[in-house]
Amino acid sequence: MNRCLVIARMVWLDLLRRKDLYVLLILLGGLLLALLSLNVFGLGGMVRYVKDAGLLLAWLFSWILAISVASRQLPQEETRRTIYSLLAKPLTRGELLFGKWLGAWSVVCAATSLFYLLIMLVVAARGGRFEPLTLAQTGLLHALGLGVLTALALALSTRATQSAAAALAYVGALASYLIVPQVPVFLAAETGLRANGLLILYYALPHLELFDLRQRAVHDWGPVPGALVAGLVLYSLVWIALLLLLGWLGFRRKRFARGAAR
Amino acid sequence: MAVAIELRDLSVSFPSRAPGGAVAALQQVSLRVEAGTVYGFLGPNGAGKTTAMHVLLGFIPASAGAAYLFGTDVRQSIARQRIGYLSEHPEIYPYLTGRELLLLMGRLFGLGGRALRDRAAELLQHIGLRHAADRRLGTYSRGMLQRIGLAQALINDPDLVILDEPTSGLDPLGRLDIRRIIGGLRARGKTVFFSSHELSEVERVCDHLAILAGGRVVAEGAADRLATPGESLEQYFLRVVNANTSREESP
Repeated sequence: MNRCLVIARMVWLDLLRRKDLYVLLILLGGLLLALLSLNVFGLGGMVRYVKDAGLLLAWLFSWILAISVASRQLPQEETRRTIYSLLAKPLTRGELLFGKWLGAWSVVCAATSLFYLLIMLVVAARGGRFEPLTLAQTGLLHALGLGVLTALALALSTRATQSAAAALAYVGALASYLIVPQVPVFLAAETGLRANGLLILYYALPHLELFDLRQRAVHDWGPVPGALVAGLVLYSLVWIALLLLLGWLGFRRKRFARGAAR
Repeated sequence: MAVAIELRDLSVSFPSRAPGGAVAALQQVSLRVEAGTVYGFLGPNGAGKTTAMHVLLGFIPASAGAAYLFGTDVRQSIARQRIGYLSEHPEIYPYLTGRELLLLMGRLFGLGGRALRDRAAELLQHIGLRHAADRRLGTYSRGMLQRIGLAQALINDPDLVILDEPTSGLDPLGRLDIRRIIGGLRARGKTVFFSSHELSEVERVCDHLAILAGGRVVAEGAADRLATPGESLEQYFLRVVNANTSREESP
């Protein structure tokens, strides 16, 4: 486990010394400040609008960060040829993969916490507030969804280049979030092979929409039952384990190109 | 005497679309490297030197045969606990400082605390990079990267150091440094296994040699006994490699 933590720490240092995170933070801050200056719906409506837009931006930015960070970890080690100096240590490929996931997920969660903090400050500046337990549940489920997303991007990157893995992860994530929840609606009008295809799609992709409690936080509808949250924790852990297992199967015997580009 | 490296009938082939379906990179290579020796692994480009090292380090699996480090099968990650490795092109994390790299690599060996910090400081001093210890690696020159790469290979005070072309791209001073470090390792009873194209370097530092050509070991023995009297290592190398490659190429 210690070796996984060392790898995770390297992921943190990499992100903290790049500009990506700071650009996203500044962009989010700028957009939220722009929202602060608007007052077109009256005060009460405005607070809800700021919460809604702020959480949407936090989701969007955290997804971008999660996919870009996770999809570059392994291909970057290969193109820099640092993979050799890592694997020459008593480190298994499974430990390397898990450490990379842990680092990517934890650093994206930390960045997302900063996004939430910014949103809370802006909402407070508008005289509003979030219901604490609902916001905590929203954040927790958001983090679990990011765990699935980072595992998906990392698993894809074991066999694809960085850009291909990122593109596939974006397509997969958007399909899981936007299309998969609509499958039951389409299913009602389909039979035979197409219906079976839709069913396979429905069960083969993770349901990222389940991790989205934004509307409850925006409209103060109150927290969801603890049993439901526990079920979603389990659901996300199963998906993370499954995706990391698939990634490990793709990575455990992979031969690295010796003449990788610098 | 203990055996640091053992290759038993090691063969490696890579899939290919060429007729025959596979390219044989190594063919039934057998070697024994005794602990405490400086062992040179020579051969022309494409002879299979780096492939053999990559099998030893567990990067690629053998198609047949077996490889052991201090008696442990290289397929087990624990086999790498007592070794250090410097790759041919040490492309090192540009966002880390020299000191951070050594500390992180040391932690991968389970080291930590004051002992690790002292070891990192000692190595930085030893390789002449103490002044640049807290600078990002992205600002290092080629020679500095090679030296910090060597330091990370020595962080765990390994019993066996595997160096893939350690002097490649270095100026004469850099080569002298590497030679000095190899000499220091030999004096401390460590095993050094290294590949090189620099035959004059090899001649100066090696106790034993193996020459690889076409994926096979074509010569092996004590460095001072391989060549015939009056023949330089370079002449011997060319003679042996030409004899073996021309035999393979003839119908």
